[in-house]
Amino acid sequence: MTLLQKILLALVVLAAVLPMVGVPQYWLYTLTIGLYYAMLASSWSLLVGYIGRISFAQAAMSGLGAYVAVLTGQLLGWPVVPSLIAGVVAAGLFGLMIGWLTLRLHGAYLGLTTIAFAEILRITVTAEHQVTQGSRGLQVRPLIEGAGPVTYYYIFLAAAVVSVLLMLALLHSRIGLFFQAIREDEDGTASLGVNVTLWKSLAFAASTAFAGFAGGLYAHFVQLITPSMMSMQEMGYILAMAVIGGFSNVVYAAFGGVILQVLLEALREMGEWRLAVFGVIAILMLRFAPNGIFGWLETRLKRKDK
Amino acid sequence: MQAQLDISNLSKNFGGLQALKGIDLSFQKGELVGLIGPNGSGKTTLLNIIGGYYDASGGAVTLEGRKIDGLSPSTLARLGIGRSFQMTKVFKRLTVLENMLVGALADWGLTRKAAEDKARGVLDKLKLTRLADSPASSLSGGQAKLLEFGRVMMLDPKIVLLDEPFGGVHPELKRFMYEKITEWNDAGATIILISHDMGSIFGLCRRVVTLSYGDIIADGDPETVRNDPAVLEAYLGDHHAA
Repeated sequence: MTLLQKILLALVVLAAVLPMVGVPQYWLYTLTIGLYYAMLASSWSLLVGYIGRISFAQAAMSGLGAYVAVLTGQLLGWPVVPSLIAGVVAAGLFGLMIGWLTLRLHGAYLGLTTIAFAEILRITVTAEHQVTQGSRGLQVRPLIEGAGPVTYYYIFLAAAVVSVLLMLALLHSRIGLFFQAIREDEDGTASLGVNVTLWKSLAFAASTAFAGFAGGLYAHFVQLITPSMMSMQEMGYILAMAVIGGFSNVVYAAFGGVILQVLLEALREMGEWRLAVFGVIAILMLRFAPNGIFGWLETRLKRKDK
Repeated sequence: MQAQLDISNLSKNFGGLQALKGIDLSFQKGELVGLIGPNGSGKTTLLNIIGGYYDASGGAVTLEGRKIDGLSPSTLARLGIGRSFQMTKVFKRLTVLENMLVGALADWGLTRKAAEDKARGVLDKLKLTRLADSPASSLSGGQAKLLEFGRVMMLDPKIVLLDEPFGGVHPELKRFMYEKITEWNDAGATIILISHDMGSIFGLCRRVVTLSYGDIIADGDPETVRNDPAVLEAYLGDHHAA
């Protein structure tokens, strides 16, 4: 285990004991939201960092997961767990469709197409107010009746850790190797018998399914969802979190999510200027430390070892 | 005797340009064939159609009696057609060993352990063992060619399409590649080799096919092709051929 891995593991252990050492509920609430973003940022990096496909639909996929989870509960009377699964499946299938329809697109063209999909979804959810209550938002039942912030904090911590571990398991399997080979050279990968079309589509599906899961959980935590959770501003947060943490690694991106959410709260007095500051930081990171804070640290620590 | 790979009336147009003009070619199992011709004569286009990277504009390609044109490159690789590229397509951010594993692991019947053992065996043959854990980005041009060669070996292909495998390769490594190609061929693989390196083509191949402007202008043993006036004309211009 490298030094950085030990530090990150220690941070997870620290996160697990935080409620026991008297951290105020306000900060536990902030960290819970941070863990939601951790799942989104790492699921985004699963796609961008490993298979090299860009998407700006991650917030929309979280929203899709959330709305499907909530509506299957409200309209069909499904219990919480099956409706969460329905959200995951819906987001995964939508991702599979985007992945398949955009197979031949790369770079800016792919990015713009995913923005179009995201906006179509957001506008549809806003417009279908008989079903979704439009921008007034949908009231959502709690995940667990009468649960307090500590319970939610632990649920989100477990969900984020399990999500990232599942992603790591996928990435360390042969499928993860196919993803990375496709990122490096699609024709070269196909020449070795790997079905590039299939894995490119499934990578989208896996990434959006995790986002759908995060969205469903989030809905039952905040208990009110609006189409703004699918907005480009939300997508901007996710992107900045993954870039600042380090999008070439799902773990680094996840930590980026928590750190940025905590900073967003800590700098609340700066108002909207926070967003401008984070934008500038993200740009500077891309220029000077493209592997993010943790990627940069990893390189520094490796050099020290030598 | 049925040809292993049969190409009939194959044509390919890029807009107004006819890159292949309805060519017929067949390859028997175990042949080692050189494909030569001036730049733009259609060699790589032909390989790209056999490998599934281009759709043909007309004609057909059959492998052991099965029509294969229009199939995807990955399907063709699984059917036993392996290829290397003129511009190497190694996965730079993966290690040399990981590069070798991709093709082997595409076969779901093979465990990771078995794939790794096989990859280490091939790397050993290619004298790349000490670089197994290095990123492919650290390889020299010649080593990258060898790695690509090794990746094709991992597929145990029936037919190997090699596009300029010796470009930028050190003479010593080149001799080593000759040996490997011959070994491969002796083991029963059919090899179609494109190269501008005439020494390699005439030294290795028992049959040489020459393309010019999308047509086959010569097809025969190296000696006959070397002295064919049409070939000399295609390479050097008609006043030299006369």
